[in-house]
Amino acid sequence: MAAVVRAEGLTKRFGANLVLSEAEFEIGEGIWGLLGENGAGKTTLIGLVLGLLAPDGGTLETLGSDPRRHGPEVRARIGYSPEHQLFPADLPAIDFVEHMCELHGIPRRHAATRASDSLWWVDLGEERYRSLGTLSVGQRQRVKLAAALAFDPALLLLDEPTDGLDPSQRDAMLALISRVGALSGITIVMASHLLDDVERTCDRILLLDHGVVRDLGSTRAIGPATAFELVVDGDVGAFVAQIERSGQRVVATDVLGRHLSIPVVGSERDLLELIQRVAIDCAVGVRELIPTRPGLSDVFGGGSPP
Amino acid sequence: MTAQIIARGYRRYEGERVGVIGAMASVVRVTVHRCLGIHRPARTRVFPVLVIALAYVPTLVYVGVTVLGNRLDREGLPGRMMADAFVPSYAQNYAQIVLAIVVFSAFVAPEVLCPDQRNGMLEMYFASPLNRTTYLLAKSAAVGAMVSVVTLGPPVVLLAGYSIEGFGPNGIGEWFLTLARIVASAIVIASLLTAVSLAMSSLTSRRAAASAGFLAVVVGGSSLCGLLVTQGGVTNRLNLVNLLTLPYELTYRIFDEPSPLTVNAESPIPTPLLVGSYLVWLVVAAALVIRRYRRLATMT
Repeated sequence: MAAVVRAEGLTKRFGANLVLSEAEFEIGEGIWGLLGENGAGKTTLIGLVLGLLAPDGGTLETLGSDPRRHGPEVRARIGYSPEHQLFPADLPAIDFVEHMCELHGIPRRHAATRASDSLWWVDLGEERYRSLGTLSVGQRQRVKLAAALAFDPALLLLDEPTDGLDPSQRDAMLALISRVGALSGITIVMASHLLDDVERTCDRILLLDHGVVRDLGSTRAIGPATAFELVVDGDVGAFVAQIERSGQRVVATDVLGRHLSIPVVGSERDLLELIQRVAIDCAVGVRELIPTRPGLSDVFGGGSPP
Repeated sequence: MTAQIIARGYRRYEGERVGVIGAMASVVRVTVHRCLGIHRPARTRVFPVLVIALAYVPTLVYVGVTVLGNRLDREGLPGRMMADAFVPSYAQNYAQIVLAIVVFSAFVAPEVLCPDQRNGMLEMYFASPLNRTTYLLAKSAAVGAMVSVVTLGPPVVLLAGYSIEGFGPNGIGEWFLTLARIVASAIVIASLLTAVSLAMSSLTSRRAAASAGFLAVVVGGSSLCGLLVTQGGVTNRLNLVNLLTLPYELTYRIFDEPSPLTVNAESPIPTPLLVGSYLVWLVVAAALVIRRYRRLATMT
């Protein structure tokens, strides 16, 4: 796996505040979570990766180059979605995305098409001519993602992409990020202070804590699934009965009985195959199937990252 | 009609990338659009259109007078003589439109720089291939281009109108010399007002404060200098720090015409001193902008 970002002994301080202390890490392909509490230095690390901040020690390579020495070349291949929601209120979304495309080197004759495609891809095709000031927070988060994606970057940096979103918008945003990672093949680094967001979306996790960066490895490696959460449509009663006949316990988690939780008793794979088989037999549609794994807080024995 | 399947899946981009120059060109274009209210609500177009009209109306009136003068002449009346007495020289024309130029300069640079500091665009620009230098160059080019609309456009229209009506320079050589003088004058005025306006705008993220600061420094400072020189008996060299008189005086020198400053002056300010002072102002204003943006943190 080629390193998209590589740090050796990376140190950054602001006055007496040590933000990064001799950090060693490599970010490869896939979706990476950069996890840390507010103020832990996630945005500072993004600034270093972009070459906007100079490290006080160590070396940093972004896309194979020193971002301080080759800033414009490096940044031309990085899509960045900032944490803030402030943008020119009277600018149409498509003009904003088109401008971001051109800033990253896409000629004007291609920029408009790519901006439009990108907005369709984040499900904002119908709203693309609306001014940014008239869009909801969730829609603006999508515009930022579209702008960061439109010029086909090699690396996507998303700073708190679910900030300010309600639960349903948050679910949709995380699903969108997963889709972008899976279908575009672009390396994504998602900075977040929310364990759940990172666990649900990312393949691997970097934990930033008191100046120390720790590669926690694969989110899957944190622990096996303890249960599967399902949302099903159709004859739910028959589906539940047949699962229970196989010796599995099923718990309804909403009053309508469409949201189910099935604890993993034996092997995770066997349970998945059972769910698939029974769903086909009973002709029910499985709209969601999310494994429940031990959280980082469980792994590290606390409510917040260590 | 043929049905089409339009794939909206993610598409890689393998085509040409135009680099930093393309990014700067985009910044210039978007900035000019913003100043003129293009792709923005109609109300944002009112002010720039009014000020640009204000700059062109006197020029169009003078061209109209030359047309009228020629028409009266053909009817046996002293039209040309009347027109000759009424229409200004190219250098004098700048004095007629000084209000429009100053007001436009006070509006443009704050519109160009201040919103970026407030609406998060500055962070987006610096996360792109642009850096502080290329960003400022692109923004300065946009402001310069906009200010040139009112410093270059009116005298060019005047030259065209005069030439068509037979009031223009004699001979092709003289004509091109006049055009070169017009371009040089426009650059001299636009550069200084652009630099000062950008410097004021770099100090604040509020457009109104930047515009007010510019007007206070340029118009207020000019009025104060004028008072001190004419009423206070202070040497006319004080005009070296008069940001309104300085570029206009240089314009008179470029056209080799007597100016209000030189007509009755016992010892006119030497041209090298004027040029030196002009360059010092340019450098100081540019240094202020660069220093301010170097200190501006975009990510912590």
